[in-house]
This record gives sequence, C-alpha cells and structure tokens, in this order.
Amino acid sequence: MTKLNVHHVARIEGHGNVSIEVKGGVVKDIHMEVIEPTRVFEAMMRGRRYDETALISSRICGICSPNHFVTDLMATEDALGIKVSDRTAKLRQLFVHGSFLQNHATALYIFAAPDFVGLPSFVPLTESAPELVQRALGLKRLGNELCALIGGRPVHPITPTIGGFTDDVSSADLRHMSELLFEAVADAAATVELFGELVGLRFETAGEMVALREEANYATVAGKIAALDAGWKKPVNQYQKIITEKVADDSNSKYSTIDGKPFLTGPLARVNISWDQLLPSARVVASKIGLRPVNRNIFSAHACRAIELVDAAERCAVLAEELSYDDGSVKPKPFKVKAGKGYGASEAPRGTLYHSVTFDDEGIITAADVITPTAQNLANLAADLKEFAPTVVDKSEDDFKKAVEMLVRCYDPCLSCAVH
Amino acid sequence: MKPRAVILSLSSDYGCQVQMSNFPELLEMLSTFELGYWQLVSSGDMPQDYDVAIIEGAVTTDEQVALLEKVRSIASCVIAIGACAVTGGVPALASGGPVRGQLKDVYGSGSSKVGIGARKPEPIKHYIEVDFSIPGCPIEPAELSRTLQRALRALTDNPERQSMCGECKTAENICMWTQNVPCLGLIARSGCNAKCVSRGRACTACRGIAHDANLASAFAFADSMGCPPEEFDALLKIYNAMSDQELRKEAVGKIAAQEVAS
Repeated sequence: MTKLNVHHVARIEGHGNVSIEVKGGVVKDIHMEVIEPTRVFEAMMRGRRYDETALISSRICGICSPNHFVTDLMATEDALGIKVSDRTAKLRQLFVHGSFLQNHATALYIFAAPDFVGLPSFVPLTESAPELVQRALGLKRLGNELCALIGGRPVHPITPTIGGFTDDVSSADLRHMSELLFEAVADAAATVELFGELVGLRFETAGEMVALREEANYATVAGKIAALDAGWKKPVNQYQKIITEKVADDSNSKYSTIDGKPFLTGPLARVNISWDQLLPSARVVASKIGLRPVNRNIFSAHACRAIELVDAAERCAVLAEELSYDDGSVKPKPFKVKAGKGYGASEAPRGTLYHSVTFDDEGIITAADVITPTAQNLANLAADLKEFAPTVVDKSEDDFKKAVEMLVRCYDPCLSCAVH
Repeated sequence: MKPRAVILSLSSDYGCQVQMSNFPELLEMLSTFELGYWQLVSSGDMPQDYDVAIIEGAVTTDEQVALLEKVRSIASCVIAIGACAVTGGVPALASGGPVRGQLKDVYGSGSSKVGIGARKPEPIKHYIEVDFSIPGCPIEPAELSRTLQRALRALTDNPERQSMCGECKTAENICMWTQNVPCLGLIARSGCNAKCVSRGRACTACRGIAHDANLASAFAFADSMGCPPEEFDALLKIYNAMSDQELRKEAVGKIAAQEVAS
C-alpha cells in the first residue's frame, strides 16, 4: 500500500490536503481533508447587531467579500422587510460582476494556468509570456477598479449598507468605467480561446448542477434556485430545506447534499442552467471552442469562467452606461427594526452563496447561517476524485498527483469560505 | 543575492494576500525577495531556511503555535500582516465565548475530529516577537510596500501613533458623531486616510487602537453623546477584542462608577 499525500494543495484559497492510498496500481482511497481552521462565524455573529452582520460576515472571505457583503445585506433586508431602489439593485449587480472579473481572472491565470504550462506559479510567465501576464493582471485590475468604484475598495467594501449605499458613483466615473469594460471584452474573449485550447482534458462529473436563474438576466443578485437535471425551480427562502449539511470526520467544512446526493454549483452549473441568458457574444466565443450545453466536463469549468468574463465585461459595460443616465437614488430609506428571519442568495464567482439571519425585536442576531459555494461543492469534488483518480493512476507518481490537483483546481475551491 | 521570504497563512480570510496579488507594484516589490513559499500562488513545499516570514491570520490552533515558534527560530524578520495577525481582528470576536461550546454550536456533537487543538483566537504577538506589524482589514498596499523596504534597509517598525481623527479632518469629512453615528476614529490608529468615513461609513478601528489614544476620555465622550460604554466597547470588539483589555475594562468601570456616584 502506498500513501500519496498532497500536503497543502497550492494555488487554492485555504489549507487542504488530498490523501490517496494506492495498492497494486489500484486506488483504494482518495479524499480531501479540509484542515483550514474554523473561525466559528455563525457562533461569533450571535449577539451582534443587525447593522454589523454584513460587516462581520464579509470577513469570511477576502477574495469574494463583495458577494458575502451583498448577500448578507439582502438577508438582513428580507428579515426587516426593506425594499431597495432599482438603482441600488443594479449597482449591486455591477458590484458582484466586478467580483467575477477579479476572481475569475485570478482563478484562471494565477491559479490554473501554471498547471497547463508545467510551472509552479505564474511568476516565470512574466518573462516568458509577458503579454499573457499583462492581460491577466489587466482583467484582474479592471474587476478591482469596478469593485473599488462602487464599494470603496477591492477587498472588503465600505459603501454597501442596509437599504442602499453610503455613497453613490458619479455619472462621469460610470461612463469611464463603461469604456474600460467594453475594451476588456476582447481580452476576455482571448481568454476563452486560450483555456479552450490549453486544457484538452475530459472528466464528466455525475453531480446535479444547481444555480440561481432569472428569466431575463444572467442571474447574480436575484432569481430562483434552479436544478439542471431535476428541472425544479424554488425560491431562495427554501434553501435550508433543499440543501442538507453534514459534519464530516475528515474536514472542518461541512458537506452538502440535495436529496442525499452530491451536487455542483459554480461557473459550469451556471453556464448550463442559464446558457440562454448569456449575451450572444459570449455564446459565439463559446461555440469557437465547441462548448455548448449540456456540458458535464469538469475541466471545461475553466472555459466557463472565461465565458463568464466575456459576458460580465460586456454586460457591465452596458449596465454602467445605463446607470450613468439614471437619476435614481441609493440613499437608504428609514426603516424600523423588528424581529424576523431573512434569506439572501447571490451568485458568487464559485457558485451560489446563501446567507440567513434571525433577529430578535431589538435587532440582535439570534441565529446566523451561511452556506458557501465551496461547502456545497466539496461532496461533489470528493465523488469526482474517486471516479477520476483510477483513470490517471498509471501515470508517474508526480504526474498522478498533479492530475489530482488539477481536478481540485477546476472547482477553484475557497476553503476559508467552506469552513468559515 | 536576494533575501528569501515565505508567506504564511494562519486563520484568516486571505484578504491581505489577495490584496498583495491585486497590486502589480506590490508584486514588483515582492520580486526584491526570493519567494521561498507562497501556497496561495505557487506549488512547492516550505523551505528549511528563510530570512523573512510574512504572516497573515490570527492564531486559533495548537498547530499554529508550534508553526510560529519554528518560524521565529528560523526567520530573522517576522512581519505580521492584517488585522487578524496584528490585533486578532474579526476572528478574535469569538474570544468572548468558550471554544468547545462554539464548536458544538456550529458543528453539533457529531464529529470527534473537528476542531482538534482549537484555542481562543489571539494575535501573533501573544506568542512570538513580531518585528513589523501592518494593520488593517485589509492592509493598505502602500504600507506593505513601505514596510518591506524598511525591513530590507535594516530599519525598525515605525507605526503611526496618532488616532484617525486628524486624518479625517484633513480629508474634510463631516464628523460621524455630529450625525449621531458612533465612530471609532477617535481612538483608531491612523494611516488609512480615513478611507471609510470619506465614503460615508463610520470607522471600526480595523487598524487597532492608536498608541496615543486616550481610551478613558473616548469612552466618556461616547457616553456623553448617548453611546453607553458597553455599546462603545461592543463596537471596539469587532476588531480589538484582544487589544488593551485592561484599559478598556478600566474605562468602562470608571464611567459606571461615576454614574453610580451621580
């Protein structure tokens, strides 16, 4: 029996090990141990005030903090019966898409790309492929600038608040941002072709695919929870009934199932579920690499990220321009604090993110619940690893481990999110 | 020759490392080091030898304490980055409750392995000597760059001593207190150009408590503005549950005693 352990999988957010046992060329066991320490957020938030919940829970994740912030605000507003203005809703959509640009560019170029060119990191590429690094950092920077324009800074936003924003964005800034976003569409399209060509690996995941879906938008901060194979659509406030979380022995993250089975959320699920809502330009670029729904190849998750970059850049360019002519307000209206439970969901770069908060009649949090995309994906990743490992076990030890890590990175896991 | 640096994570949200990867000028600054280990962006194992250790995150497990002790015995220079590492940050908000109880609260009693070696969250300096501290949630990129340069030039840490109020006035912001919003700028360590207040949000002292801050007087002022000591202290706890605990207790107690006397 040989034990092959990948200690602290690199180029993912957080600490996780993959432990593998091979006997006589047969994979006897493979599983991922999420050793990222827990910060007990759900316990820590109890006793805090309604106007602190988003500030605190957004610290679950530095890489997708805009998503946690907005999702928690939506849960809080749901509990307190607050409706936001059209401009607030649209700025939030723009904000979350900004997070897509920055996260996807990071996941693709900084985390995944080194695998396909046999490098430990992207750093050597700054000399061998400077134009590629420039494109990567350009897309990342644009996402950051968009998040900073709306939220005040790229990591941990300042301006989003219950019922709106503490500060608005000027029309001139929105128009300038719109121009930058239009210019970035070409870089995003080049990214699709790059990751269509580079990857060339196949592994069909068996899991159900789940994502938010809207009928007239590529869902980000609104919509119903939709399942691709089962075909159902259910409201966000049902999420705790739909998803079952279980504590596992080898992981500080809980594992999620729907109807007892693992499922998948994230770019691959979204592109399949909301293919018809992608902008035509994104679908055309997808067709150039032969990507069409229904597509179950987990390695095409990278291409799906890139397709979402195309869609996000163009969609945000149009939205930013539209908002530059809009005279609506983002100023929160006065509201009354009351007891209640609220639910929020949004599409974060790694998949659907759910928050729920319960307040007493003084607005003190009595219960909080967060299910992150990676926590949802871990059971499916575990199932994929078991099926995939035997197909690559005949490779050299090094290449076998690398292949396993590459599968893990298809999920772009965020383990500090998963554990929280 | 370049000094060899490692970048390590304890318990955090990786926001400060993300911040480092976000700014091309910071990546350029990092190229003045030989990067020996950075799990977030590169494959490869921890080297046996290194000169500089940059550490993000609060200490929440026994394993991390052992790691820190080892790192301190090897590295000539230890740099703590971000609120979690410097003051305990948001993770330290959990320090008010019993560790086991909170684990049971989140995980139930079903698992035997979850949370083995978990301990009360604390800043790095409670366990090892720290040469440079870069506060904030997240860190200011320019401050990291400045500190790395100080480290390379054999200078020592040079933290701002004043509170944020001065910077806020320079930014010509309207004081949050005049709008009936409690703000921690009056005791928070300066150095962020009052970023949050400038965009309409009160300061939460993510950079920690300023060296020159007068805590007793701040508590009394807050009280006079209708923000009682418990409420002011609760705000302060978001990032500073493990900072200046004695001074805070004293300030809260003093006001309570005055109120009893009057």
